[in-house]
Amino acid sequence: MKMKRSLMLLLSLCFASSLALTGCGSDTNKTTEGSDSPKTDTKTDDPKSVEPLEMTLRHTQVGADKQKRFAILQDVVKKVEEENAGLKFKLDGVESDVNRKEKLRGEMAAGNPPDIFDLFGSPDSKVYAKEGKLLDLTPILDELGIKDKFSSLEPFTYEGKIYGLPIGGSGEGFFYNKEYFEKKGLKVPTTMAELDQILATIKSDGKVPMAGASKAGWVPLMLANQLWSRYAGSDVTSKFVKGEAKWSDPAVVKGFAKYKEWVDKGYFKKGELGFEYAEYTTQFTSGEAVLLYDGTWKSSVFKAGESGEKLIGKVGFFNLPPVDGGAGDQTSLMRDVNNGYGFSATVAEDPRKLAAVKSFIKDLFNEEMQIRGLVDDGVLPAMKIDASVLSSKITDDLMKEIVNVLNESKTSFPAFDSLVQADVTTEISNIQIQKLIGNQTTPEKMGEALQKVQEEANSASE
Amino acid sequence: MNKALKNPMLYIVLILPCLILFGMFFLYPIFSAIRYSFTSWNGVSATPKFIGLDNFTKALTEERFWLAARNNGFFILFSVGIQVPLIIFFSLLIANVKKLKGLYKTAVFLPSIMSTAVIGILWGFIYEPNIGLLNSILKVFGIEPLYWLADEKYAMISILLTNAWQWTGFYIVMVLAAILSIPRELDEAAAIDGASGMQRAFSITLPLIKPIISVVIMLSIAGAMKAADIVIVMTKGGPAGSTDVMATYMIKYAITNFKYGYGNAIAVLIFIFTLILTALYQLLVARRSERIEY
Repeated sequence: MKMKRSLMLLLSLCFASSLALTGCGSDTNKTTEGSDSPKTDTKTDDPKSVEPLEMTLRHTQVGADKQKRFAILQDVVKKVEEENAGLKFKLDGVESDVNRKEKLRGEMAAGNPPDIFDLFGSPDSKVYAKEGKLLDLTPILDELGIKDKFSSLEPFTYEGKIYGLPIGGSGEGFFYNKEYFEKKGLKVPTTMAELDQILATIKSDGKVPMAGASKAGWVPLMLANQLWSRYAGSDVTSKFVKGEAKWSDPAVVKGFAKYKEWVDKGYFKKGELGFEYAEYTTQFTSGEAVLLYDGTWKSSVFKAGESGEKLIGKVGFFNLPPVDGGAGDQTSLMRDVNNGYGFSATVAEDPRKLAAVKSFIKDLFNEEMQIRGLVDDGVLPAMKIDASVLSSKITDDLMKEIVNVLNESKTSFPAFDSLVQADVTTEISNIQIQKLIGNQTTPEKMGEALQKVQEEANSASE
Repeated sequence: MNKALKNPMLYIVLILPCLILFGMFFLYPIFSAIRYSFTSWNGVSATPKFIGLDNFTKALTEERFWLAARNNGFFILFSVGIQVPLIIFFSLLIANVKKLKGLYKTAVFLPSIMSTAVIGILWGFIYEPNIGLLNSILKVFGIEPLYWLADEKYAMISILLTNAWQWTGFYIVMVLAAILSIPRELDEAAAIDGASGMQRAFSITLPLIKPIISVVIMLSIAGAMKAADIVIVMTKGGPAGSTDVMATYMIKYAITNFKYGYGNAIAVLIFIFTLILTALYQLLVARRSERIEY
């Protein structure tokens, strides 16, 4: 009985507290609603005072490596707040992957996304646009006259309308340890044979030739993607969806085989399947690995106060060299403009919010900010900027090398995951590439397995 | 009190808050999950398309799903077969120590109040191939470094060990409470009759704590079926999907790919599997253990 009574007490306590908590919840909701509603301030006597307007801004500039980018955003936010009286931004920083795959999706489904948010172009923006969750930016871009200033808005375009703006672009290539190269008399490779030779030299020297961290499949896939595009042509990935090319085509398989060859020869950091992406950088900055295949965004690490500080001036960048018998343009480079900002469709209901969005676009997407993003943070511009302006602004040697590589590459292609269906992406990044690295599949079997998933996805989408 | 409960209106009013909360946070989510599991839904659209049992047939014919389900099976086997005996063993030990019982209790309980993310990082260091604790120990014995989380052979067992480490203490405290609530006289009487410590443990303590062990097993099964966080922080289901469990399969193959209908179907399957397993356990094992009267 005593037990029963204490149980009752406990239960009632639970109820009381949960009720109190729900009470709290609705309370806070009410207050925010109150401040949003346009009627609240009718009693103020001062005609100059403007009723406050709060907008939420979801960004992904969290962590030490993104401080520079965050500073840019903060400056823009300040400017927009000055331009729009009464406006106050509530900044909400969320880690990029969490935002992309969990938080934003949940909010989209529930119909309450932030007013402004970090958005990925393909396939995310298309799914949201189709459901009418995103603000159509076409009229704003026309009004500001910047519609043609972007190098590509394709990932954010759905049925001819633009639903998001890329904040920057990136390319992928090899970062290399210049100091080591000089010490060993190595030169930037111009052919695949030379690269192979370099890798062998580094290996025999007892160093790790290439950093490796494949716990997340997209990391090794940066290089693998570039390899199969060298062998089978840079446009091959876009053909998979249309059925014009197959993952099991010999040329594509050759790309996988090359990757496997390097794995077998021990050119990547051993135990790579257990390492996180963060360790990828560390292997290189610590001097353990000599080469790092990564996106140009990584250049921001080699700046004063950042984790790669001691390598400033000692890091170079080169494109994957041409391969013998490769198809298509052998200077082609993977370039991405898939990440940027989107805006909630509900913004259109409030003219003040719409005006704020307009200022936000004007203040963030302009030449000055794009150049600042490049110079401060190593993010390539997503907008077209005159080459002479660019070269006059860049003082950083590494950045100069990167821009050189980009200028020398005649064509570019988007990353595979913005071209193929999500199922195929899951299969290659979660299963097949790791199997290849873990020696549980052959390049041929990998191609066949991927083709099978590709065909299923192709027939399902019809 | 009893009079009040005879009034049906008051009765209803009193249980209403409970019913509302139960409906809102338990019944509604379950029914909406079941509803969406029959649809093809991208998670955003207001109009999911009804496709009948397609999601379920797809999941049940998918090899990867069964691999994931098999890993859940490993979780259950490991926790029931290895963890539970250890829990009982350590509980008996701690119950019989004379000094510093509080310290032991706190020490074993500590891991279960830590966040799984922290534990993932902590054990990540232990399993680290170059400088990690485990490989350093192996090195002393001249054994080549093992790639605990990167090698398919060891990844699952590494996760199971970590998971066991996290939860053993929690269950030990539960079992310990049961042991300590056994009236002292029973044990003392047996001791006077000349029963050895071992005999007392097996013939007196164990039978008396059977119900709580049964609860521990039930909780272990349910916990094993919904395991996800530890896998995500330690291996993300890798290498090559070898440590995926049903819940991580759901995230990877459904939620990430905008297939919420399919995801809900998997969630419903996890729910059904768990229901079947626990019901079976109740019917076959737990029912038979009688109620304990001292």
